[in-house]
Amino acid sequence: MNPYLAVAALVCMVSLMFVLPLIPTLMELRRKSDALPLSVVQQNAGEIRYFSDSFRSYIKGLEPIMQGCVAAGTTATGALPDGEEYVVLGRVDEPLVLVLQQRDATHLVMGADVDLTLPAEARFSKDIYAGGQFIGGVKNNFRAILGEKNVHLGASSRVLRWVHAVGEFTADLDCNLYGRISSDSLIQLRAGCSFRRLNAPRIEIGRVAVDPEASPPQPNLADGGTPHRFQHDGDFEVQAGQVIVGDILIRGKLYVHSGARIYGSVKSVEDAVIADGVAVEGSLISARRMRIGPHCTIHGPVIAERELAIATGTQCGTLEHPTTVSAPRIELEEGVAVFGTLWAREHGQVVAIA
Amino acid sequence: MIYVLYIIVFVICVYTGRHYYFTLNRLFGFQRHPYIDIDTADWPPVTVLVAAHNEEKVIAHILEALMTVKYPADKMLVIPVNDRSTDGTREIIDKFVEEFPGRIQAFHRAGGKGGKAAALKDAMEMVTTEVILIFDADYIPGAGLIKQLVAPFFDIEVGGVMGRVVPMNAGTNLLTRLLDLERSGGYQVDQQARMNLRLVPQHGGTVAGVRLSALREIGGWNENSLTEDTDLTYRLLLNGWKTVYQNRSECYEEVPEVWPVRVKQIMRWAKGHNQAMVTYGVHLLVGKNRATLRERIDGTLLLGVYAMAPVTLIGWGLALAVFYQGVAPLHGVIALLSLTAYAAIGNLAAFFEIAAAARLDGTRKRICLLPFLILGFAVSIFSVSRAAAVQISDLVTGAEFHWDKTERFRKVL
Repeated sequence: MNPYLAVAALVCMVSLMFVLPLIPTLMELRRKSDALPLSVVQQNAGEIRYFSDSFRSYIKGLEPIMQGCVAAGTTATGALPDGEEYVVLGRVDEPLVLVLQQRDATHLVMGADVDLTLPAEARFSKDIYAGGQFIGGVKNNFRAILGEKNVHLGASSRVLRWVHAVGEFTADLDCNLYGRISSDSLIQLRAGCSFRRLNAPRIEIGRVAVDPEASPPQPNLADGGTPHRFQHDGDFEVQAGQVIVGDILIRGKLYVHSGARIYGSVKSVEDAVIADGVAVEGSLISARRMRIGPHCTIHGPVIAERELAIATGTQCGTLEHPTTVSAPRIELEEGVAVFGTLWAREHGQVVAIA
Repeated sequence: MIYVLYIIVFVICVYTGRHYYFTLNRLFGFQRHPYIDIDTADWPPVTVLVAAHNEEKVIAHILEALMTVKYPADKMLVIPVNDRSTDGTREIIDKFVEEFPGRIQAFHRAGGKGGKAAALKDAMEMVTTEVILIFDADYIPGAGLIKQLVAPFFDIEVGGVMGRVVPMNAGTNLLTRLLDLERSGGYQVDQQARMNLRLVPQHGGTVAGVRLSALREIGGWNENSLTEDTDLTYRLLLNGWKTVYQNRSECYEEVPEVWPVRVKQIMRWAKGHNQAMVTYGVHLLVGKNRATLRERIDGTLLLGVYAMAPVTLIGWGLALAVFYQGVAPLHGVIALLSLTAYAAIGNLAAFFEIAAAARLDGTRKRICLLPFLILGFAVSIFSVSRAAAVQISDLVTGAEFHWDKTERFRKVL
């Protein structure tokens, strides 16, 4: 074999072996198939009503059909521009609904002033729009509901994605609410319900007697108080009935005993236990687990990085100053009220009063 | 010589382990996002400072974006900090002030010391709110970003907040695509892992926030610092304030599109970082301060990041020297170990981090460009080493630092 040819062949072989793994790289450099900027959500600010607002826009084209059906008391079927099938009900009776449940891939759209009471164990795998009152039956299963008036779920019902009620939203015993639940006025959950993300001006867990404007009395500065930002390394106890004016940062466990009033915010880098009748004017944050109540009043955001338990009679936020209560796992006793957002990242559970 | 090499190899191995630890934490560990769920609150008044020095190409974009964010308009004041601009920046800002009376107040700075920290320091006379957010002029905040950056300040332990930076001109050329990958690794993995592990997330000085009382407690902006963000991170840490990172608070930025601009940018970062290392390193590690043990260790390693470039080069040279001089008792093993360690930090661990970040971001094809990162790495290692050499030389000659503004590539509106 010609030695020059052999060297050339060797060089070619080595070059090929070197370049071969780089072929996907060179192709991507040339094609730019994944060169767009990462998708950053610019307009959707993570709002809880994002899906319900989108659905409202999505079915906007059905308004004339809906009005026609309501006026004539008839039913219409068809397909939306993207090919999704729909049924518009101008009147509702039980046999019709039973038929609709069988049509798995159909959006159910009910016109204004049409109230709907569903039978037990009805299942809907597509979104529902309700112009009138929506009353679910026991053990219903929904994907999503947009209600222009009140929405009520029967016991042991399940929602997979979202519900928005312009009126009140109520869920009977043992409902599982996996997605986003929002209302423009009130959300009420009963014992046994599980939840993830709730938002309403007022969220009531069970039956509660709340004072929407509840506020701790103004501090008597003559009593003296702590410095503006009090820091403590190690465990710390706020004594029963003690009044603290200022923020307290505890690098250990925190115990706040009965009736204490804190005119500021509180942070514990470990567990926090808040006894009954405590009032906190600012935020209340634990880097681990937190147990609150009963009958406490917290005005600012309540955050626990691991678990949060709130006992009956406790109120977070006010109508005037709504707030957020958030933790990966939340357990609420009946009798708790939250004004604003209640967000359990992994699991939220309503329990009956012990 | 051989013992110096041993030390260098050990330090490189420590950084390699750190990269893997962060990446594995990000892939399999508990993810901390404690404040991101705060979407309803009695939002506090906030001042948004927009640092601008000859920013006529970009300033209108950010001011427009800030006027459409979802934050109570009566609680948010935007102050564009016009730092001695000689282009049309002043006129553009004044036009916005006229258009949005009460929502934007201009701060025009005609003289004084150069640099962002000096400009921000002067602008503080207009700030009255407890929460301050800071953006560079080339950023475009989304609708929910202000609330997301303000939310952590409900925690009284938080002194600073940092959001995630995403290049908007990622697809322009090879450089921007490499910087896009680097940013992914740095934020999606590095910063979030530090947040998860309660270490030291770094304040980036843009898409960021600071608490006024914390800033006052640590003595305000340090106008002598070359990187006011790193300086702020460490002074907050030493005084018991936490800086938190919000990975889901994303904001578009413009990255350099030509290599000389990139080289200048990274050299400035390196000088500032090294300056902070000299100023705070020993005090953080062994001094009396409020940092926890894990924060001390991570903070010290973070301070040394830019010093690793010249250290690696020195180690490389030493490895070759001991190999050819035959002084190494383990003969070629040391050279091999050094080269492996070099490869690990430059080639594997950091690249593994970036690949993991791309996966977490849900992107697929851009990972194909990973081999080209060796090019970016080579440029960085020599630029950063040169910066360190210049810094030492300046120290000897007493030369003053010259502030280089990062060039913008967008068209003027």
